Amino acid sequence: MDFLGEGLRRALALIVQGDAEVTGVVLLTLKVAVTATAIACTLGLPLGFFLATRPFWGRRAAFTLVNTALAFPTVVSGLLVFGLLSRRGPLGGLGWLYTWQAIAVGDVLIALPIAAALSAAAVQGVDPRIRRTAQTLGASAWRTAWAVAREARFALGAVITAAFGHVIAEIGSAMIVGGNIRGSTRTLTTAIALYTGQGEFGLALALGIILVLALLVNVVLQVLQGKAHA
Amino acid sequence: MLELVGVRHRYDGRVVLDLARFEVPPGALIAMVGPNGSGKSTLLRLLALLEPPTEGEVRLDGRPVSGGPARARPDAALRRRVTLVEQRPILLRGTVRDNLGFGLRARGMRRADVNRVTEAVAARFGVTPLLERHRHELSEGEVQRVAVARALALEPEVLLLDEPVSSADRAAAQTLYGALAEERRRRPLAICLASHQLEDAYRWADDVRALADGKLSPVTPENLFRVELPAWVPGSGDLRHVRVGTVEIAVMTDKAGPAILAVPPTDIFVSREPLPSSARNVFAGRVTRLSRQRPGAVHVTADVGVELVAMVTEEAARDLQLAPGGPVVFAFKASAVRVF
Repeated sequence: MDFLGEGLRRALALIVQGDAEVTGVVLLTLKVAVTATAIACTLGLPLGFFLATRPFWGRRAAFTLVNTALAFPTVVSGLLVFGLLSRRGPLGGLGWLYTWQAIAVGDVLIALPIAAALSAAAVQGVDPRIRRTAQTLGASAWRTAWAVAREARFALGAVITAAFGHVIAEIGSAMIVGGNIRGSTRTLTTAIALYTGQGEFGLALALGIILVLALLVNVVLQVLQGKAHA
Repeated sequence: MLELVGVRHRYDGRVVLDLARFEVPPGALIAMVGPNGSGKSTLLRLLALLEPPTEGEVRLDGRPVSGGPARARPDAALRRRVTLVEQRPILLRGTVRDNLGFGLRARGMRRADVNRVTEAVAARFGVTPLLERHRHELSEGEVQRVAVARALALEPEVLLLDEPVSSADRAAAQTLYGALAEERRRRPLAICLASHQLEDAYRWADDVRALADGKLSPVTPENLFRVELPAWVPGSGDLRHVRVGTVEIAVMTDKAGPAILAVPPTDIFVSREPLPSSARNVFAGRVTRLSRQRPGAVHVTADVGVELVAMVTEEAARDLQLAPGGPVVFAFKASAVRVF
């Protein structure tokens, strides 16, 4: 118990004092997670909308692919990105391996199926009369999509928070393509794994608390959504 | 002119609409009647260019705009010429004012003009007091009225209405039809409406068409019944008895399974008491409604265990002293019943 209590005391002290190491890791993690979520949602939400509303040959297979990709192991995503970005890989010339950009690329691969699959489900949940109404009133494809998105705004908000929650808590891909380099590619999850191994339990716990607090943003958003629905 | 040509439309392989030609001429006032599931709503969605027909095409002014060999796809500008109000319309997110202006903004109209048109159409349809309300603050009837106003704000050439008074009371229905008539006096407007209510169809439309199982019915739209015909037993002859409502109707047919029965109103003999005759169907009941559809002809609607409509001359109606609530007997031969 002393060990846990001591670790918690140290963690809180590090957070309250604004420890430079902790702050650096947190800021880098947020930069990576926000960038990856923004890119994944910019691509994934329209993709989800397309899957949900446009009949095309192979649509069922596309749905299966996206839904399967939801459960794709993040370590394998990391391996894939590692292969692409390594010096001998097709994108080796970018020189991104072991940079925050590499972690962001890996996170985009992880968040993209989440954004696409969940937004497709969100759009499919919208009353089909909304789309028909917008169309029959002469709305363009974009305006029709906007009318549908406004109806599904809470569900689409949940898609974004789910994608953010997934990438901020991801470790497998970040470890492989980022390399966990201090001050450069060390994110909350990779730092927690490292400090725990090094016996820096207080530091690891401090980062763990911050990670959980970051995920609590989702809970706050859900509560706000609930109030808006009421 | 809006028209369907050679349309066979399928859902999951099943043909739900089969029309060689269906025309909505400019300025026409068409009512489509038929039982639930007869294809009325599907027909309206095809005419509204919301889905292409599986086979055949939709033409506007002779030009294919949806379906056909070229798989034509209508754009937003074409859709603005034909607007559909669904049976249970839905308002988009926002206020009634936002809804009335939605299609106008989609056209790129300036804000000041949108407001002007919105307020004018709201006044015509009596929804001005509702302008700042949201959809959850409106009754079903109000939503329907706003939806019709929203469609007409765009000044389409063709207005398609699916059961426009299904959730309105009689007074609200009168207001709605009155506003539509006023709209047609203002400018050329073709209206094609689907209705369960024959009385409304006859009162408001110049052209009443009946749809049954996705096909235009060869007989007038009254007295159409969807039934399940019992299996034919060899040696039993073609005379069958089919339950419709609380009565059994005698029909001559060798068909079995799902079918539509049609009793032409002109083939029903009307009397005040049963008369000896060869008619196998003789039903006594009470007159529920008398309506004059055209000079000299009276539609007698009676509840004889099921609602039936007969057509008689004005003179016959007077001689028989037919009046709502009064006794009446309807008789028709088994061979007068059409089965298809």
